[in-house]
Order: sequence, then structure tokens, then C-alpha cells
Amino acid sequence: MKFLKIFGQSIKALFHNKGRSFLTVLGIIIGIGSVIALISLGDGVQKNISGRINALGATTLTVMPGAGLNLGGGNSGQNRSSSEGTRGGGGFSGSQSSTLTTVDLSSLRDKTKNQKIKEVSGNISASSIFNVASGQQRLSVTGVDPEYFNIEDLSIEKGALFTKADVTKTEKFVVLGSGAAASLFQSGNPVGKNLTIQNDSYTVIGVLQSKSESGFTNPNNQIYVPESSLSATFSIANFSSFTVKVDSEADVDSAKAAIEKTILKNHGITDSKLADFSVLSPKDLLSTIDQITNILTTFLAGIAAISLLVGGIGIMNIMLVSVTERTREIGLRKAVGAKTFDILLQFIFESVLLTLIGGIFGIGLGILIGRIAARFLAFEPVLTSFAILLAVGVSSAVGIIFGIYPAIKAARLSPIDALRYE
Amino acid sequence: MISEPIIKLEGITKIYKTGEEDTQALKGIDLDIKKGEFVAIMGPSGSGKSTLMHIIGLLDKPTAGTYLLNGKNVSKISGSKQSDIRNSEIGFVFQQFNLLPRTSVLDNVLLPTIYGSLKKAKERAKEIIREVGLEDKMTNLSNQLSGGQIQRVAIARALVMNPSIILADEPTGNLDSAKTKELMALLSQINKKGATIVLITHEETVASYAGRVIKLLDGQVA
Repeated sequence: MKFLKIFGQSIKALFHNKGRSFLTVLGIIIGIGSVIALISLGDGVQKNISGRINALGATTLTVMPGAGLNLGGGNSGQNRSSSEGTRGGGGFSGSQSSTLTTVDLSSLRDKTKNQKIKEVSGNISASSIFNVASGQQRLSVTGVDPEYFNIEDLSIEKGALFTKADVTKTEKFVVLGSGAAASLFQSGNPVGKNLTIQNDSYTVIGVLQSKSESGFTNPNNQIYVPESSLSATFSIANFSSFTVKVDSEADVDSAKAAIEKTILKNHGITDSKLADFSVLSPKDLLSTIDQITNILTTFLAGIAAISLLVGGIGIMNIMLVSVTERTREIGLRKAVGAKTFDILLQFIFESVLLTLIGGIFGIGLGILIGRIAARFLAFEPVLTSFAILLAVGVSSAVGIIFGIYPAIKAARLSPIDALRYE
Repeated sequence: MISEPIIKLEGITKIYKTGEEDTQALKGIDLDIKKGEFVAIMGPSGSGKSTLMHIIGLLDKPTAGTYLLNGKNVSKISGSKQSDIRNSEIGFVFQQFNLLPRTSVLDNVLLPTIYGSLKKAKERAKEIIREVGLEDKMTNLSNQLSGGQIQRVAIARALVMNPSIILADEPTGNLDSAKTKELMALLSQINKKGATIVLITHEETVASYAGRVIKLLDGQVA
């Protein structure tokens, strides 16, 4: 009861100084607001990327040329860095040629060596200039095996997919993503029409069903051709990547080890540290990305927390001024029976109230900043209850830490000295 | 008059250590104040009357001697106990800075009830505000009041917890003679209703309202 009454006194005291209270709180609002905004944006980025990685499929592994983990490559090695004549695979620098050979591909397909592997597609990335409605445009072309459509869950809408036999015979066939079909042929059925890729004439044999964007590439915008044909057209000998489908999620780790062993043996490398390729599972990607975004979020939130510290010092400053200003009030309160602890409590309440109000409005501000930022970015901010609890906890802690010294100063005043204070 | 003393001081001494020299503010005060008495303590400045009031009001502890309040020795009790007794047994009226700034009359009178237990505190506070003649100022803020009204609110606050003693330290110090008269009449009226009042003043006219005048000089009862 007394607790509540003292709490009431604190609220009244803050209201008596509305303007000052507001300015003091402003520092905390900005501090908490920026922490919340950055954490929710960071979590948003993480969720967005995780979603894309999960869309790759938990049982899909990617073998990329080059040592070490490189996140630039995407799921099947198709990426913007590809260019005519040069090896376009992701994950290795342009000056280095890919080390993934047809021998590697057939070893991976060898069921006696790799029992856990269901399907493998060898992929080659390249790009070529095409005529589109708006003029000429450079689009990426991906050479794949028919298994690729299974692994990526791509199904045909018009025409047909190319077959293993087509790959063997290096048929110049094209299967278009729905978006690519629309931009290359605008309207009408593209099946049966010709498409020139790097001076070679290809025939469109199928158009894929539209699929929601997943992973890091949009399958709808892709131009798929048999890998053997693309290899011939661009004179590319090796693969940009392998996409490997494993039977079940439980087999991912053992399959990964088996793939590594197989290719190391093919390449005559005994020390796995010296490998000239890397096998990525969605889990690896996920944990790496999580690590990176976590570091980033923590770092940014840490910077934002500095403004919180400044806000806290502001609170302490104002509370010290307040204690000096209200010395005689403190004396009067003590004279009518307030104990040292009662005064301490009142001043702690005041500073915690200030920071807590700041925390609550700061959460609002943080959400607002997140929403506004999201309008300019391609993802939604994620506000977790953890972030809110953190904000409330930190602001209360700031109130207590920075309020305790002024409160002790107030509580220790002797009533006689306080009453005599001029 | 009832014979039992409400305040009994025996050999009260107070020494202040100021630098190397000790100042003896009170040099062995013996004093009995009975229940229902209206006592004025007079003396020139430096006579020790403020120090004596602080000790009687449990705002300070004596260096030596015993202080019996309602028969209980309170000269060596803890700060927390002192607070409790100040809250329930003593009502203060100061010369200045009596009220919380920008706070209503009612809230000012209710101030002691925050730190103690009083049933139906609001009703009690309103009743006393009526008694001191400020029922129409109940919600006025303290900075909207005149000097005389401020002292009336202070008296109401001093009375709200039903204390044994009212300690008034130069309550008329900032008032003109007309307001002084009004305030002293109010205090006399309260005294007649049974409250024990200890008043500190250096004005003869103010002291004349008291039933007994105790004169202090150089820390001793003259």
C-alpha cells in the first residue's frame, strides 16, 4: 500500500515537470527505438535469407568449385558473374577454372560408391544476349541434366522436358521458365520456335510452370538447356556446380562425406584441407548466414546501445538536478515521517518510470522505423518478444543503474540540513 | 490539567563539532511538558531553541541526556523508528517551505498519510481542511495560496495523523500582524480541543497565546 502511494508520488513528481520529463525520456526513446529497429531489421534479414535457404530443400547439396565456403554462388552455380566463354560458376574466382569434371559427375552417379545419392545434375552457367521486347538483354543460360528438374521440383506446362538421351546427343533444346518465355516470346506458344544462343540455334521444346521464387535464383527467369549442348556452344569443359539430391535428411551428412571422398580421390588429393571444391548443405549455408547476420545485428544494436547509454547519463543528470532542486521537499517528507528507504524508492521509481516510458515509446518508434525501412527494402522486419523484453529490461536497468546514485544522494539527506537548504 | 508529562527532557545536551572547536548548543536542559499544554519556547537567536525543537521533534539526537516521549525513552532510537514516531506522534509547522510546490491543498495535507497508516485518510484530511477554514481551497495548488492560507494548510497537515504534539517553528515568521492573530487564534482553538502545542518564537505577542513561556538563553533554560 505504502509502495503504491510512493509510486503515486513519483508519477505526480514527473507530471509536475512534464517538459523536462519528456526531454529526458527522449534520449531513451531514441536509444531503445534504434535498438529495436536494428534488431527487428536484422531478424527480418535473417528470416528472409533462412526462408530462401530452406526453399533450396533440406536434402539438396551443392558441390562448388574452389576451396572453402563461398556464398556468392547460389544453389546451382547460376549467377551474374557468368560470361561468354569463361567459366561462370559461382564460388571461385574468374581467373581460376572449374575443377568439377564429367568424371566427377559419373562417379557421383555411381551407386556403388555413393548409395545415399538419389540424383545428380551437372550444371554449367553462362549468359548470352537475347532480343526481348525492350531491345537486347543479357540473360543467364543454365546447362543442366534432366535430373535438375526433379531436384528443383520444376514441372512442365507446355511441351516437354529434355531427356538423358537429348543430353547424350547434345541436342540443341531449350526449356524456358515462364518469365523467360514471356520476355523472349511475349505472347503465343514458344514451343517449336527457335532461339539463338551464342550463334547456335536452339529449339524451344518446353515451358515450365510458374513457381514461387525460392533460393537465390528465380527459376521462372531461367533458360535451361542440356549441359552437354551448352558446353559445346560456349566451349566450357567443366561444370560450374553439381546439384545433388539425397534420399533423406538423415543422409545429408554421410552423403556429404561420401561426395567429398569421391571427388578428392578423383582429383588425387589426400588432404581434405587442400580440396579444390566444396560441398554445401543448406544447413551449412544457414548456420553461416545466421552467424553473419547475428554478428551484424549484435554489432549494429551495440552501436545503438551507445545512444541508450547517453540517454541513461541524461537521466542521471536530470535526477541529480532534481534532487538538488527538491532538497527542501525531501526534508519536508522526512519530517512528516518518510524513511530513508521511502525517499530512495521514490527517486528510483521516478528514474525507472522515465526509462520505462522511454522504453515503451522507443518500442513504438523502433517498430515505426522498421516499417518505414521495410518499404525501401525487400523484407519484413521481425519483432520478437525477445527484442521487446530486452528493450523493457534494458530500459528499466538503465533507470535503476543511473537512478540509484541520485536516489541515494536524496535519501541520505539529513532532514534538518534539507529543511534549512537555501 | 493532566499531570502525566507528554515530553520529559532530562539533562539534554547537544554538542556540534564544527571544525576544531566544539559548539555546545544545549547545556543540560530539563523540561516537562504536560498533555494538552500550549508552551512557547522563546529566546534570542543562538539560544538553542531551534536545536531544542529538532530534538523534541526527533529530527536530531541529543549528545547526552534522556528524552521521554509519552513515557518512552526516545533519545537513542534508530532513524527508522524516529521516522515512525515523527509520522504518528508529531505534527510540524515550519516557518517556510511548508508545502509541496504545485501540489493541491488536499494532497499536501495527505502527505504524512503516505508514510504511515491512517484509515479513511481522505475523509480525515477533508474534515481537517474544513476545520482550518479552507474547504473552498481543497483542490487549489499550493502556489495559488496566500502566506496565511499556506500556514493553515501546514497546520491541517500537522493534525492529520492525530499526533500527540504539534511543533510549530516560528509559524508566524512570514505573516503580517492580522494574519498572525488569525493563525494564533486557530492554534489556540486547536489547543482547546486537546492538542499539545510547542511553539517556538521570538515574538512576545505570539508567545502570549501560550499557557506557559519557557525562555532559553545560551543553551539553558533561563
